Amino acid sequence: MSALATLIDDDREVVVHATTGPDTFMVTADELEGATGWALKPEGLCRDGVCVPVRNRDALAAGGGIDLRAFARALGRPVAVEPEAGLAVLGEAPATLRGNLDSLVAPPFTLPDLDGHPVSLSDFDGRKRLLFAWASW
Amino acid sequence: MWQALHEELAPQGLVIVAVALDENLDTIRQCAREESPVTLTYPVLMDRDHLLAEHYGIVNIPTTVWIDEHGRVVRPPAIAPADDRFRDFTKVDSSLHHAALRRWVLDGVVPLSDAEIHDRQELPDADVQQARAERRLAVHLLRRGQDDRAREHLGAALALAPNDWTIQRGSMPLRGEDPFGQAFFDFYESWEAAGRPGYGA
Repeated sequence: MSALATLIDDDREVVVHATTGPDTFMVTADELEGATGWALKPEGLCRDGVCVPVRNRDALAAGGGIDLRAFARALGRPVAVEPEAGLAVLGEAPATLRGNLDSLVAPPFTLPDLDGHPVSLSDFDGRKRLLFAWASW
Repeated sequence: MWQALHEELAPQGLVIVAVALDENLDTIRQCAREESPVTLTYPVLMDRDHLLAEHYGIVNIPTTVWIDEHGRVVRPPAIAPADDRFRDFTKVDSSLHHAALRRWVLDGVVPLSDAEIHDRQELPDADVQQARAERRLAVHLLRRGQDDRAREHLGAALALAPNDWTIQRGSMPLRGEDPFGQAFFDFYESWEAAGRPGYGA
């Protein structure tokens, strides 16, 4: 059955239509492209001019929908899904993160301060920055 | 906490940005108030989804990362307490870090070569990335009051990343465990037995 579901991908949260069952989480191809930027084309999954070949196309796409688990597998990305709650989290591919870390370029981020105002690393471009990660635990 | 260093080094050009890998905004607000007799004057950001941990390869707190004027990481994530209160556990002398920080800010001396930085980075594998996704799903389920489903996904995260503090100790409050009680000591012992992985001092 098709219902609204929330797809979380990095710092984006997008509501999509999903057809879910115990082992399926199908999102319409158009909405998945809107949420993640990846489109299914004859040459594979494509974004920004880069295409990743898809080994098992039948497992990925059916009836205008794309299976989120097969989508993540094709891109080497982790995905955690709770079909009945209509909630899925796409993580970043380990290979992508490793490449980013290897470059020594500080990954950009925007996070809310304690009053909810967004603050970005780039707000302090041109200055030395010390990030301090902490927690109450 | 870092307020004194902030006051000392901000006029020299350093920006300190604190990021809380924490689910509870009220707790963090309270911690930020209690940490210093004066109001903290550097930004404290909330990262409930642990995005910083994922993108920077942070596996424990308190951790610092140094980023230069050009947006380049010159010191990768490393345990860096503000003081020596927990030195028995951290085995890190905070004054060494602070001295190195002053040399970098005042004299431009970077502490590590690129090769040394790469040696000290905590690179994620597929299990840790899956664990982070499961943890993130779990906290979103908790926010929706779906505790039973959340517990399953937290369990998956815990099994996949046995030595990641942000996942193990970081989820103790979410599981009703005391992060300063028995659950902490049990985790600390198993982590120490595993050779204190991911501590990049």
